Amino acid sequence: MIKIEHLHKTYHSGFLMKPKLALKDVSFTVEPGQVYGFIGPNGAGKSTTIKVLTGLLNFDSGKVLVNGISPRNVKSRQFIGYSPEQPYFYDYLTGRELLKFYGKLVGLSGKELDNRIHWSLELLHADKDWIDRRLRSYSKGMMQRVGIAQAILGKPKLLILDEPMSGLDPMGRRDVREAIMELNRTGVTIFYSSHLLSDVESISHKVAMIVDGKIVREGTVDEITDSCGVEYHVRTREAIPQAELPEGVSPAGHPQECVCADDAARDRLLRYCLDKGIAVERMDHKRPSLEDILTEEIARADA
Amino acid sequence: MQTLKHIGIIALNTFRESIRDKILYNIGFLAIAMTLFSIVLGEWSVFDRAYVIKSTTLSVMGLSGLLISIFVGISLVQKEIQRRTVLTLLSKPISRASFIVGKYFGLLAVVAVHLTLLTAIYYVMLFLTGSAPTLSLLTAIYLIFCEMAIVIAVALLFSSFSSTVLSALFTLGVYFAGHLSDQLLEQVRFATRMGELNGTSSMVFQKAAEVIHAIFPGLYRYNVTSYVVHGVALPDMYVVWNTVYAVGYIGVFLAIASWWFSRRDFL
Repeated sequence: MIKIEHLHKTYHSGFLMKPKLALKDVSFTVEPGQVYGFIGPNGAGKSTTIKVLTGLLNFDSGKVLVNGISPRNVKSRQFIGYSPEQPYFYDYLTGRELLKFYGKLVGLSGKELDNRIHWSLELLHADKDWIDRRLRSYSKGMMQRVGIAQAILGKPKLLILDEPMSGLDPMGRRDVREAIMELNRTGVTIFYSSHLLSDVESISHKVAMIVDGKIVREGTVDEITDSCGVEYHVRTREAIPQAELPEGVSPAGHPQECVCADDAARDRLLRYCLDKGIAVERMDHKRPSLEDILTEEIARADA
Repeated sequence: MQTLKHIGIIALNTFRESIRDKILYNIGFLAIAMTLFSIVLGEWSVFDRAYVIKSTTLSVMGLSGLLISIFVGISLVQKEIQRRTVLTLLSKPISRASFIVGKYFGLLAVVAVHLTLLTAIYYVMLFLTGSAPTLSLLTAIYLIFCEMAIVIAVALLFSSFSSTVLSALFTLGVYFAGHLSDQLLEQVRFATRMGELNGTSSMVFQKAAEVIHAIFPGLYRYNVTSYVVHGVALPDMYVVWNTVYAVGYIGVFLAIASWWFSRRDFL
């Protein structure tokens, strides 16, 4: 559905048009039917990549295809629904008027348009009385829902959402998360960026991590977190003297608990316990979260 | 077909946006006030009252149309970019050229409504003051409309790549150059004939004046107030040829604006 190969993008700013490389050799592929999370710190290049995909930004070099068509071609946008970060709309319109306007632009009219507006609002739990108020009176959360509603009006094959959860309260986040899952169940491919990594972990089939314009990790959440090593926290019935702890095993603060740095250390500890007849009460498999890995990657990029 | 539909939708939205703009109402009320004031001017003036009312009101139409074209026209594209509404709009399957052309026709409709309203007031006023309202005045009003159609295209062209203030200044520059280019050429020729300019300087001035005359749209062509007020007939096909002339310039300006706008990045 999305194919990006060796994408480079440079911004030119200031009077002297000083260049700044925003995307450096970015490559990844989003298969049809996936929920694909795009994460990274502020200014890493998430929105830039998204705007390249939607044809809002030109790029220096590389290959970008959306459903097999270059985003430079207007036709590529027939398959896309897009909601920008902090969406802004014509504030002199009501939410419903705005949806009618965008609906007409994607070729809807009459009863079909009304039905589609009703469907999109219902999906986002936005079919409330405020939808007939002027947009200038909307809260951030209402605006975000209208933003996503206009993006799905045309029943796109690919939904691109830039920070869809930002500005939403926990209920709003849940609604948007459920809407994303529901759309994905009907076959819509979702590509979205987010800072809320717990949400990304829970709903994404695949994730790409971008730091300083470069993709530093890509894969399923399990693949990414497994690649960073895991820890095992082992609780035994009796304390093991520190001097007898096998290689790679260290005390964890509590006298009956220790930490195994990897699989081999875990095996050594279990063998030691079996030999000594020490009962193992509990063993927790602890792997780093996406947040831990992202923090590590940011620190590495800054170094 | 789809492109025409997109242009229509954007034009309608632009029209709706513009008629909710306070600047438009300020200009509109000012124009109506000045039109009514022309009756008082007619009474005070040493000239014929009907002449003063007719010529003043036509000038008011031209001036208010210019203000709308510049101040509303330039802000149309700039507002979309600054408020970032352009992001969602251009992510739809519409070309950037459709966006520019749609904006153009939306504002053109606003100017048309404004001039129609003033025309209605104008004729009622002429009728009530017994100032011989003739149909030929409509020719002058139509040509003002053509002139404004060119000015809107110029405003959109500049606003597709420069800031609001610069776009306003550039558009005003083109407006004045367009009105004075024939006089400039005439003056240079006159000075050369009178021997005030000669040799290289004459050639340089004459070439410069010719280039300005050739490049800038000749907006002076659309000021026929003195003809219609005094009841002098315009040359045959004058209106037709100047309509074609306007359409040509508008086409070129919109094509450049669309091309430039298509190359822009939207952050």
